[in-house]
Amino acid sequence: MFKAIVSAETLSSALDSVSVLVDECKIHLEEDGFTIRAVDPANVGMVDLSLDAAAFESYEADGGLIGVDLSRLEDIAGMAESGGLVQLELDEETRKLHIQIDGLEYTLALIDPDSIRQEPDIPDLDLPASVVLEGKDINRSVKAADMVSDHIALGVDEGEEFFYVDAEGDTDDVHLELTTTELIDLQLGPAHSLFSLDYLKDMNKAIPAAAEVTLELGEEFPIKIHYGFAEGQGQVTYMLAPRIQSD
Amino acid sequence: MADWTETYRPTTLSAVRGNDKARDALRNWAERWEDHRKAAIVHGSPGVGKTSAAHALAADMGWPVMELNASDDRQADVIKRVAGEASKTGTLTAGGSGRRLVILDEADNFHGNADYGGAREVTRVVKEATQPVVLVANEFYDMSNTLRNACETIEFRDVSKRSIVPVLRDICRREGVEYDEAALEAIADSTSGDLRSAVNDLQAVAEETDRLTVEDVVTGERDRTEGIFEYLDTLLKNASAEEALKASYDVDETPDELLNWVEDNVPKEYAGGELADAYEFLSQADRWLGRVRATQEYTYWRYASDNLTAGVAASRREPKGGWTRYGPPSYWRKLGQTRSTRDRRDSIARRVADAEGTSLATARRELLPYLSAMTHHCRNRDLTVRMAAAYGLDASELSFITGSGADTNKVGSIVEDAADLVAEQAVEKGGNAFFDAGDPSPDDTGDGSETAESDETAAESGDGQVTLGATLEDAAGADGEDTVTDSEGDGSANQTDDPGSASAHDEDDGQSGLSDFF
Repeated sequence: MFKAIVSAETLSSALDSVSVLVDECKIHLEEDGFTIRAVDPANVGMVDLSLDAAAFESYEADGGLIGVDLSRLEDIAGMAESGGLVQLELDEETRKLHIQIDGLEYTLALIDPDSIRQEPDIPDLDLPASVVLEGKDINRSVKAADMVSDHIALGVDEGEEFFYVDAEGDTDDVHLELTTTELIDLQLGPAHSLFSLDYLKDMNKAIPAAAEVTLELGEEFPIKIHYGFAEGQGQVTYMLAPRIQSD
Repeated sequence: MADWTETYRPTTLSAVRGNDKARDALRNWAERWEDHRKAAIVHGSPGVGKTSAAHALAADMGWPVMELNASDDRQADVIKRVAGEASKTGTLTAGGSGRRLVILDEADNFHGNADYGGAREVTRVVKEATQPVVLVANEFYDMSNTLRNACETIEFRDVSKRSIVPVLRDICRREGVEYDEAALEAIADSTSGDLRSAVNDLQAVAEETDRLTVEDVVTGERDRTEGIFEYLDTLLKNASAEEALKASYDVDETPDELLNWVEDNVPKEYAGGELADAYEFLSQADRWLGRVRATQEYTYWRYASDNLTAGVAASRREPKGGWTRYGPPSYWRKLGQTRSTRDRRDSIARRVADAEGTSLATARRELLPYLSAMTHHCRNRDLTVRMAAAYGLDASELSFITGSGADTNKVGSIVEDAADLVAEQAVEKGGNAFFDAGDPSPDDTGDGSETAESDETAAESGDGQVTLGATLEDAAGADGEDTVTDSEGDGSANQTDDPGSASAHDEDDGQSGLSDFF
């Protein structure tokens, strides 16, 4: 049993943050909210999302599991006017999701969850450095780096106490330093890793400019990116594996 | 019931059956990967355990797997994004130091638009990879040379019956199926080296009975394509007409191809009268194939097949024995070898056809042989020169027609003379054009500047004074020198009346046409 009413905006931002990595996903409909966990086909990026029941206008669920085609569901949610509400109801018999938006009724065929790529286990990583900054700073860094290269180095300078972004292209370079005054918070630790810009660009699309974003970093280790949405009632954690630096 | 091939898929390399050498090579490759950093190509027939071995290897090494197989969309950008990224990044659990294994299944099969550019992208991924990559393929040589050279090669051979039977026995024990040893052997026999098929067959048969016996297995035999060599053996050695026809249904060749195979190999078995009979049937088959081509009526194939299978089998007068080395048809090879010759012949024929107003086929079939006979070894030098001039032949083409060497002095001088002749004729023709058109004061030798424009200029200079007859006559006269149109194109009728009219013109300009010699 699953029945919920949610603002289109909240639903869209939740779906967007997952759809940057995968086309289809499994949604766990728990009693206290829903969760999505997915890893992209290359096993390089991973997303873990939870949306509390409190983020919904109304929410009832008893622990079901559904598989959805994300682009379909996003399109439907896009039909709502800004501030509009979306009503979702699961038909257990036919395995279809009934969606109502301002009198518009849409029946979405669900995907067999078994046919969707297996959900990843969240690795337990101990990342030494942590940086808290605004979403727009990430946006700026990624945009600048994208002009010169297809990968980006993120790191923390322990001596000078700043967070830096480096991108080296064939001819041009980009370098950005953010000191403690520009950052919301900085925990020092040895950190320098290279990441694929393609993935960071996609993830950046989903990160709201005003959100407070936490980056956890290590030396040649995956990065964890946390941020909240829907007034803190939804949480997203991205993980991205580092590029191998040798050669 | 779950698929047994999945249930009993090996989880570690040591459980991979039947290819111990390849298995060890694969493990060795993985252990040395840090040093050589090359990708590996694992190739072999379907169902021998290539993909299983790759996955088992990853499990043994503790490497996470990224797999891209043929059911995925494999356009270049997808491969780049998925396999390319995976082969260059660390893992989510261990970061940059963590290895992952990238498995590209069916790396030899990139088909159509869905995989556009895929094969090239694979090569790039392999070259740029910083993680171990395994390419799994059936046909080693379907992959590009660059790709093959960039990788270590590990071949998986067909699994022998000796290795298949224990696997089946083990599965039966674990599934609690009772069996006759002979039944398992029969399954292993019928799948000829394909372990996966053997397991599938076992499951299919086991689902229907409580106890496996040989009889159960026989009913469960799968369709197989018969190899062309086995078929030739059957057809030519001892099959009856009916058997030969029926066996041909399992052969994966069209009648056109099959005809070439049979035609080339039948003399290796048949001799004398029976061989003549067999060729009679083959020629019948060939005629039916001709009808298929002409009418596009493919139902006629059946008559071609009947003739070339049943007909050939029926022609045999006594059974043959022993072993014969059959060879592939020489037809295509011969076509390939003679390509340049045929191209030259066609280019000459094209020019002759243009000049004579005949079809290419007619020029090739009816004119070229005569030209060739008349100018054999340039014996009739004068004629040869004029022919070369008429069709604008160069040394190699002249050599093709006359049979003389292309770089001999003889041919060289003929080509030179022909060039002179062309120039001379152009001059004369220009002059005649004016003369014949009825110009009151013609300059018989013509004028260098007028030469090339001959006919057109003639008509213009005529200024309406020219009668239709005069123009025609003029054209005929001019053409007679330039080409051999009339006599060659139209055959005998002209040969008789031509000399008269032609020589009339000839006297004018002292130049005879080729037609005079027919």
